Amino acid sequence: MAATTVPGRTAAPRASRAGAVVPTAILLLGALYCLLPVSWVVVAATKSKAELFSTSTFVPGTGLLSNIADLAAYRDGVFWLWLANTVLYAGGGALLSTAVSTVSGYALAKYAFPGRNLIFTVLIGGVLVPAVVLAIPQYLLFSSFGLADTYWSVLLPQILSPYGVYLARIYAAAAVPDALLEAARIDGAGHWLLMRKVALPLMLPGMVTIFLFQFTAIWNNFLLPFIMLGDDAKFPLTVGLYTLLAAGANQPALYNLIITGTLISLVPLVALFLTMQRHWRTDLAGGALKS
Amino acid sequence: MSARPAALSAPERLPEPAPRRRRAPARERRATAAPYLFLAPAMLLFTLFLAVPIGYTVYLSVRGTKVSGLGLGKGARREIFTGLDNYTAAIGDGELWAGWLRVLGYGLLVLAVMLTLALLFALLLDSARVRLARFSRVAIFLPYAVPGVAATLLWGFLYLPSLSPIRQVLDVDLLGTGTVMVSMANIAVWGGVGFNMLVLYTALRAVPSSYYEAARIDGASEVQIALRIKVPILLPAIILTTVFSIIATVQVFTEPTALRPLTNTISSTWSPLMKVYRDAFVTGDLYSAAATSIVIAVISLVLSFGFLRVVRDRAYGEG
Amino acid sequence: MRMNRLAATMAAVLATALAAGCSGGGSSAEPAPQTTTAAAGPVKLVYWTWAPNMDKIAAAWNAKNPDIQVTVSKQAGGDDAAAKFLTAAKAGNPPDLVQAEYQMLPSFVAADAVADLSAEIASAKAEFSEGIWRMVTLGTEGVYALPQDSGPMMLYYRQDLLKKYGVEVPKTWEQYAQAARTVREKDPKVFLGTFSSKDPGAFAGLAQQAGAQWWSIAGESWKVAVDDPATRKVADYWGGLVKEGVIDDQPYFTPEWNKALNDGTLLSWPSAVWGPGVLSTNAPKGKGKWAIAPLPQWSEGENFSGFWGGSSTAVAEKSPNRAAAVKFATWLNTDPEAVGMLVSEAAIYPAVSDAGSRLGSAPEYFSNQEDFWQQATTIAATARGFTFGPNVNVAYSAWKDAFDKAVRDKSSFSSALATVQESTVADMRKSGFQLAR
Repeated sequence: MAATTVPGRTAAPRASRAGAVVPTAILLLGALYCLLPVSWVVVAATKSKAELFSTSTFVPGTGLLSNIADLAAYRDGVFWLWLANTVLYAGGGALLSTAVSTVSGYALAKYAFPGRNLIFTVLIGGVLVPAVVLAIPQYLLFSSFGLADTYWSVLLPQILSPYGVYLARIYAAAAVPDALLEAARIDGAGHWLLMRKVALPLMLPGMVTIFLFQFTAIWNNFLLPFIMLGDDAKFPLTVGLYTLLAAGANQPALYNLIITGTLISLVPLVALFLTMQRHWRTDLAGGALKS
Repeated sequence: MSARPAALSAPERLPEPAPRRRRAPARERRATAAPYLFLAPAMLLFTLFLAVPIGYTVYLSVRGTKVSGLGLGKGARREIFTGLDNYTAAIGDGELWAGWLRVLGYGLLVLAVMLTLALLFALLLDSARVRLARFSRVAIFLPYAVPGVAATLLWGFLYLPSLSPIRQVLDVDLLGTGTVMVSMANIAVWGGVGFNMLVLYTALRAVPSSYYEAARIDGASEVQIALRIKVPILLPAIILTTVFSIIATVQVFTEPTALRPLTNTISSTWSPLMKVYRDAFVTGDLYSAAATSIVIAVISLVLSFGFLRVVRDRAYGEG
Repeated sequence: MRMNRLAATMAAVLATALAAGCSGGGSSAEPAPQTTTAAAGPVKLVYWTWAPNMDKIAAAWNAKNPDIQVTVSKQAGGDDAAAKFLTAAKAGNPPDLVQAEYQMLPSFVAADAVADLSAEIASAKAEFSEGIWRMVTLGTEGVYALPQDSGPMMLYYRQDLLKKYGVEVPKTWEQYAQAARTVREKDPKVFLGTFSSKDPGAFAGLAQQAGAQWWSIAGESWKVAVDDPATRKVADYWGGLVKEGVIDDQPYFTPEWNKALNDGTLLSWPSAVWGPGVLSTNAPKGKGKWAIAPLPQWSEGENFSGFWGGSSTAVAEKSPNRAAAVKFATWLNTDPEAVGMLVSEAAIYPAVSDAGSRLGSAPEYFSNQEDFWQQATTIAATARGFTFGPNVNVAYSAWKDAFDKAVRDKSSFSSALATVQESTVADMRKSGFQLAR
């Protein structure tokens, strides 16, 4: 599909018919490998309580609708509240994260200034300390500011993404030609305008990737909200579903609800992915035309 | 045609000790405040939510608790300064080193397979000829989106003898002493390949197609273009992806934790980070957890810098 | 010299925030937490629990007590739930009330996270049996929580299939072992039972039945005896069966275990009174086919059981509303109406001594055993527990690792037990606990 929209790439001639088979087959194999376990979630969500542990693993069941109904009825529909919370955490967090990463990556890639590599290394170095151990100190910190158990306590720590900064830097370096910046600068554009009008449009595909990554990462983050939040009305899906799984030593785990909840939580991510991926098609060669 | 676009690799490479100033020195000299302003939000967030908690972790790592008598009742438990005790314990812990060894084997397996596949998929997706690319792209990324809460259940259904569809084809105990590491690596590859593929793919999309046209006109095949032009362009991205993957592998936690309830072949200290989790969240010894995680951070640092040094000598030695 | 200034500012920010973080985390001399109570309005209490439908029970209380309003926040259970509460307590903003499993209570007490309620609830003592009350006093003068539910153990078995294989319900462990062999001979796909190396709680209950005392207090010091003769007897018994191959060694609560319960390839489960919930959810196909009997005994004529699970309601040391919290906790766990709701809504087996009278008809899953609750109540009266120590989590974690290994290598269970004892003692010694002997 990319081939039809990007003029520069249709150039690959003739051979394509035969040449397409092998690469397509390899990719489809990869897709199959990745989809198979995911499809278990889909199949399992259709199974009723009685079917889940008794019918063959990949045989669909008859309980999808009743599972969804049970999930929707669980504690007066608290699932939808968790879903809304998750959208808020992931959407807000990923937007802010993309903004911060892009601006930082752009500055790191396109300016040379004292301390550039130090700042980059330090920001990236954040991934060296595992989140498992940071969660408790972060909680103690937020709680000393009276912010524990608030939406902020989950939102704020997830804005800075070392991976996002790194991606944005690599991306800005590759996608924003220096010549173009220089030309705009000579036309009298200031730093802010230069970034907003010249660099950001070119970085859009990279921003989409960062947004997707961060959105998914926050969507699935468990430990931070688990520690930060005491109030179950602020829980995101992961923590909420966990209360169904670890229902206490003397209560059964509600497997059907967990699986159905997992399936439903995948839907927005897939939808988001499908709507955002068209931005990857932007042909960046456009930069050359402009200058 | 040696098509290594200068503009792409120009100011951008690896973090190197000396800042590179090659282009537009005039702009840079005048532009002193702007980059700092652009970086201010990131630095502020870093300071508040990473540096300070890390500082606190370091502080915790040199402390411990001391109880007196039965340890019940008020004031029976005090927090004290313990110096480097937690570190000597962490470094002297044989189980932790055994964990490092296991992670080393596991890590080599995961890194090799996952990154090769990610690169292969990214190159294929970027090639003009592939059909159903959009479908494959979503499908391969999807595992990254499956939340960990469902992981134990999911893999239980796929790995446990009486449920596993794999077992029906292949007669191996997927959770046995010898095989459990491969099963675990499979989870990591499955979950991580899409992420890394997208990183590389996005980097490829940033390359103007004009770079390839010249090569095509010269009669280069798609495979040649991929190997001679795209891979070199991707090199910085590949290297940093590898570094991030090394760090993630050193901190492996999710995969063994998901499988642990299903089998008796994975101990609570299978990987170093599992020990950290156990200390911090199960046995309540935050101080040991802090010290161990500092050790983990240092080892990640050494490994990733070691790797960078090696590839820099190899890949950039030529100039 | 911009960088220098930047660096200096960063250092300053870091230093102040660090100091704030530390003081927030460190001392118990913190001022009261920020749960401010408006002088005029009702007292607001927050209650962390994982029991189902607890919000409905709290609503019943709220309707009758406009001046003490309870908000239930449903949490996840398990090991990390304790870590979460301890972290919140350490930071100074714990909930007012918290559900605490009996085995976690001592570590809450040791961390000074829960209040000693002996002054407020001495009168409630009469409502509970001696053995259960000891779980919340830890054998000291203090009272650290109100017992909520308990888990006396019994033997769940497939009535129809035992009959099919011609096996009597075993009355002693000797008979149980024999039955296990018989079942294997009749059908090599079927096991009478399984030994789970993931559930130290179940093993502790079996050890209690045999008369074990893992922790005890002697004067000002702790005595730790995880590998006492009674426990060693239990360990070697199961180790022998696993080695012989007549008992399965797959853990409880995995998808595979659920399947085995469902399809009749696993015939019995020594479990606690809360078993019906697990069976009906995970093995719906077994409905009307399972039944309960007392646990097999170590010698004929004996009649003992142990406890697996059970929890209490504790009040956070830093709660500014202790009196109100105690009032609610007392109502919740002793008032006839509340206890009735605990049974019907939260599906738990209440800890109060006259629980039996509140239980009503048999669970639907056990429609084949009309006297289910009468049986359960009779068994519950024979259960004996022991005092839990301040580092049960360490002991349990060591237990899982040691028994995982023993099951995997088919090695001696009593030497695995010795490892657990060693780790437990070493941890207590490291923390500075006074140890006897």
